[in-house]
Amino acid sequence: MLLDVLIALLPVVIFALIKYTWHTAVNLAISISLMAAAEYVFVLIKNWGPKDGEKHSLLERVKFASQGYTINNFLAPTVSAVIYTMLFPAQNTNPVGFLYFALAVGALFGLIFGKLVFGGTGQNIFNPAVVGFIFVKLCFSSSFSGLWYIDSFNAVSGGGTIIPGSSVVAGGTILSTASNFETVFSSHYSFLDMFLGNIPGTMGETCKLAILLGLVYLLVRREIDWRVVVSYLGTFLLLIMIAGLVPLAKGLSGFDYGAFILTQVLSGGLLFGATFMLTDPVTMPITTPSRWLYGMIAAVATVFIRLLGGYAEGVAFSILIANMAAPVLDHYKWSSSRFHLKNVLPLVIVPLCAIGILIWALVDKLPAASAFVTLFGGAIL
Amino acid sequence: MIAAAKHIEDTKKLLGMLPTIHLAVPEYLFIATNNARCNGSETFIKEGDHVNCCQLIGIRHAPFFDQPIHATCSGTFLGYEEHYHRSGKLVKFMKFHNDFKDTMDPSVHERSDEEIAKLTKDDIAKILKDCASVGLGGSSFPTYIKMETKNPIKHLLINGIECEPYITSDHRLMLEDSEEVIKGIKILQQAFGCSDAKLCVKGKYKDLRELYDVLLRREKDSGITLCPVGNFFPQGWEIAMIRAATGIDVPSGHLPSEFGVINFNVSTVVGIYQAVKFNMPVFERNISVTGDGVLMPSNFRVRVGTPIKSLIERSGGYKDPDKPKVFILGGPMMGASLPSDDCIITKTVTSVLVFNAEKHVVEPCIRCGSCVLSCPAHLQPVAIMNAMKVTPVEKERVKALDPLKCIECGLCTYSCTSKIPVLDFVRRAKVIAKLP
Repeated sequence: MLLDVLIALLPVVIFALIKYTWHTAVNLAISISLMAAAEYVFVLIKNWGPKDGEKHSLLERVKFASQGYTINNFLAPTVSAVIYTMLFPAQNTNPVGFLYFALAVGALFGLIFGKLVFGGTGQNIFNPAVVGFIFVKLCFSSSFSGLWYIDSFNAVSGGGTIIPGSSVVAGGTILSTASNFETVFSSHYSFLDMFLGNIPGTMGETCKLAILLGLVYLLVRREIDWRVVVSYLGTFLLLIMIAGLVPLAKGLSGFDYGAFILTQVLSGGLLFGATFMLTDPVTMPITTPSRWLYGMIAAVATVFIRLLGGYAEGVAFSILIANMAAPVLDHYKWSSSRFHLKNVLPLVIVPLCAIGILIWALVDKLPAASAFVTLFGGAIL
Repeated sequence: MIAAAKHIEDTKKLLGMLPTIHLAVPEYLFIATNNARCNGSETFIKEGDHVNCCQLIGIRHAPFFDQPIHATCSGTFLGYEEHYHRSGKLVKFMKFHNDFKDTMDPSVHERSDEEIAKLTKDDIAKILKDCASVGLGGSSFPTYIKMETKNPIKHLLINGIECEPYITSDHRLMLEDSEEVIKGIKILQQAFGCSDAKLCVKGKYKDLRELYDVLLRREKDSGITLCPVGNFFPQGWEIAMIRAATGIDVPSGHLPSEFGVINFNVSTVVGIYQAVKFNMPVFERNISVTGDGVLMPSNFRVRVGTPIKSLIERSGGYKDPDKPKVFILGGPMMGASLPSDDCIITKTVTSVLVFNAEKHVVEPCIRCGSCVLSCPAHLQPVAIMNAMKVTPVEKERVKALDPLKCIECGLCTYSCTSKIPVLDFVRRAKVIAKLP
């Protein structure tokens, strides 16, 4: 099962290795070794023994406890580590080695406080890769922002020059208010570039082709539940299409409806999150109606954060929000594996409410045309 | 894989083609004094007595019925011995020495067709009670109690599906004793006054479909039809079969007769025919001996009371006798695993499966939901397992998850990606849920 997820991650990893060569390898090495080591220590603690009241040397006790170490105890943190690394840019600049420190701290935090304190494999509420990533983002955002990246997602200003600047990780608004993101972006990169990964961005999320290959592989092998992917991407598409109608109705100049939707779908961690992070079976609810609702909640949160929130970091936070909702959806008092009215009603009410709030916020709260440009230009993680 | 486990590998195509071997009756036969449903019994004979075949020799007591015990060979009663019974319990068996004459008891007499035509449902129920007819598909529920239902019956379903892998007892019975099957169905139709009888078989068994298409062409006015249904497990579960054959959804906790449907296993139907026509209890039945632990998997016609060791001998003995083996009486999904091969065939054993024991490493549960997708009773096995792992046990939480609806089909354990024995947790949850 975990081996299949690693195989599905191979196209993404190979793309990152081709594009960023040894940076990728170093980052992966750091994350995998730290997460695997943390899991090994956890296994040792869990199986510490033998508890027969006699004196044993430390080496004997370690050997005894290591008997509980199975192959899944290596594969599970490896999968989390690869996903976690792919969420980062390949390298940062100030100071040069800081990315490695941030990666290491985030990897340990993510695995320990995202998985091990809950009891190990199968017991965690939050996705450990996302926990680690959000931790780094919140703690070290100053080190990542306002710096010039090689090949990170840069801001675009009027005149078409690429300025060094706000990073994906920190989540500042990419855009200065005077320019139109769409036209400048499209003059430098085409949609084909966005699909194939010729754009700046973090290691994992730029090449959509590689992600889609992984998604198809996982769906064919039935290692993930297709319902979550379909409901997430479908609800996201629905909400974006309706949100895009608002500037269309207001007659925003230079606004291309199709390009807007395609940009939103192809940019950022949407596809990467939908394929690898949202579909982690441990953090999903267990019944089919709940899984449909889970994908919807994540999609609603993503759209709200991207369009209405100040953060550019929509996908990762929305995954955490959906993970929080999963135990509630699974509560024994109301969870059921068949579709009754009480299961189907939220599936209708949640998107309708989301659409209502979205339209109300966009129409009423944002009077200035320039603000629309700001809002609808910034399409990022 | 996160997927619903529905189609289990059948592995019985070849076995279904092997004709049934009628085994010679062994020298010693054993009849159980207690069984899965009956806790107490009395015997009417003492050591050294001579018995005839099908003679009434005792009676078993259960909470809501009494069951007559019949001898299955003629010979001398030697005393009691303890052996394993299908239910896994160590039970006292009555040991008989076979005199190989098969003298029938005078209670066995033929009824003419005119006599049978005059029998009412209650008459037939009385005959079945005296002949200790029980559900031979594995339920061992007394058939006469089922017959005494007062609800009007519109559909009679005969379960020839045999959805468990590895077993072909009913398959061979339907192929080789087809006349008795049809006559038994007609008797049941007469008892219930029901003109619509459906013989349900798996759609993929072309041999059965072709045979019964030809046979039932002669019986066009009888109302008996062949009903091919799905090929998955557990299609043979009565609720699933009723839904496939008639479209009626019987909710959990209700009897099918409340909805005008009644169903019998095809082996039970042949037993009913023999009881009504010859006043004979069931004293032999089809048994499949198969699995990768025996040399020659075979189908046998076996006298009830035969020790299993002789069946395994006739199947060529054990393959790789030095490897530890797993014994299952019944199907691999729902059958009972026994601790030794020292057990005796009773009326309700359908098969003997011998496998080489395999070790599985149990991984932690990753909440993939395969068990939830596979459960035919629409339960959430993983939620029940997590509720049972909490100590002290939360009775309200376990009860709210409805473990009593579980039919113990084993699909949750079969589909688990971490190879956890989930069914054991649900079985324990049933005990908790029954507490006040």
